Amino acid sequence: MRIVGITACPTGIAHTYITKQKIVEAAKECGFPCHIETQGTIGVEDELTAQQIAEADVVILAVDVKISGENRFAGKPIVRCRTEDVMRNTVGFLKKIEAKLNSRK
Amino acid sequence: MKMNFKEIKRHVMTGISFMVPVVVGAGLCQALGVILGGPNIADQTGTFIYFIYKAGNMAMGTMIIPVIAAAIAYSIADRPGIAPGLVVGLVSAEVKAGFLGGILGAFFVGWLVNLMKKHIKLPKTMQGLMPILIIPFFASLISGVVMFTVLGVPIAAFMKAFTDFIASLSSGSKFVYGAVMSAGSAFDFGGPVNKTVSLYTTGMLADGILQPKACHMVACMIPPMGVLVAWALSKIFHKPIWTNDEKENLKACGPMGICMITECVIPLAMNDLWRVVVSSVIGGSIAGGLCMMWDVQSPVAHGGWFVIPSFTHADKFVIALVLGSLIMGTVLFLLKRRLSEEQVINGSDYDPNENQEAADVNIEF
Repeated sequence: MRIVGITACPTGIAHTYITKQKIVEAAKECGFPCHIETQGTIGVEDELTAQQIAEADVVILAVDVKISGENRFAGKPIVRCRTEDVMRNTVGFLKKIEAKLNSRK
Repeated sequence: MKMNFKEIKRHVMTGISFMVPVVVGAGLCQALGVILGGPNIADQTGTFIYFIYKAGNMAMGTMIIPVIAAAIAYSIADRPGIAPGLVVGLVSAEVKAGFLGGILGAFFVGWLVNLMKKHIKLPKTMQGLMPILIIPFFASLISGVVMFTVLGVPIAAFMKAFTDFIASLSSGSKFVYGAVMSAGSAFDFGGPVNKTVSLYTTGMLADGILQPKACHMVACMIPPMGVLVAWALSKIFHKPIWTNDEKENLKACGPMGICMITECVIPLAMNDLWRVVVSSVIGGSIAGGLCMMWDVQSPVAHGGWFVIPSFTHADKFVIALVLGSLIMGTVLFLLKRRLSEEQVINGSDYDPNENQEAADVNIEF
């Protein structure tokens, strides 16, 4: 399962990056290629490329606030959640996503 | 337009995230002016320091409510929400409906703009007029007038009653008020409860009531300091309470605590939830109560140790901060279990993957 995603929290200085780190680490553990863009107070960092998005099987939007550029993911399966949903048991969270994607195929 | 609590919260949080940099930037300029120029800075027109002060003062006085209103309207209705959002925010400030009026007005604007987008049908050739003329003009006109005539009046009355109530509190009730607020700030280290208090205190700040923010700040700065105090005590009394992993986290708590990034305590709290939360709430609420009782005022919304000089009664703030940190550290040290050598190396027996259910997944295809 190839993952792309965006993280963004209200203050945009801490949870945004903790969440990203959690997803990246968990994805590595599961062997999922993964690219996460952060939209913190500083602005967009590690912006997703069109190719990364095109190749992805699922989009994870772990966001507590409005984000920019959501239209890039049109037609993709999107998981919308809060940053805190991802932070608790990230591996289990990714596994659940994988199971749901597979059951759909 | 149906909206559940989660969505409402997301819109308000978007508003806050846009507003905070304005409050910090403008608030610090204003505070710097007062520090350098003294209390009469507002009369020293034309001096260099006056310019610093005035730039911040103008933005603090007029921009904060329009910015949060515009950002909330933007969150609900995308770009067309911004212009009428600014208008409704300015009107809210003008009729003294303040921050609360700005937020409610912004929801009205968002709803109105979405309604217009949906129901006004123009021929294709004229569709360019929608975002450039029709929506900005009619949404601003309607929401501005509604705020002046209908929405603003009861909110303004409520705000005045509330402000009077705070001013009338005796010092005992002030302590309780500050303590309750700060208990919320110290409860979940930057989580939803903390953010709710942050929202409330920033709103008060925008309306010129500066004490609540000081209570919130002291309670955000205590947890990182408190865990360090507990670490120091564990060294002094040779009672190992932190695992090696946690000690790595503790290193980050120093600099992050100085900057008021209370989130650095989360990993420590996750390992030992109730002990950390209980000690944090005790230390935070006592310090917050003292700040409110001593009338400490913070003109800025964020910034940690660096902005303490801009406070009114900064000395008392420092006393409350130190006292709260010592109390939290001591309580935490006493509550914490003594760890064996193995536990220090391998971590306490906690495994987040076993104990915690992953959140529900909902995929939109």
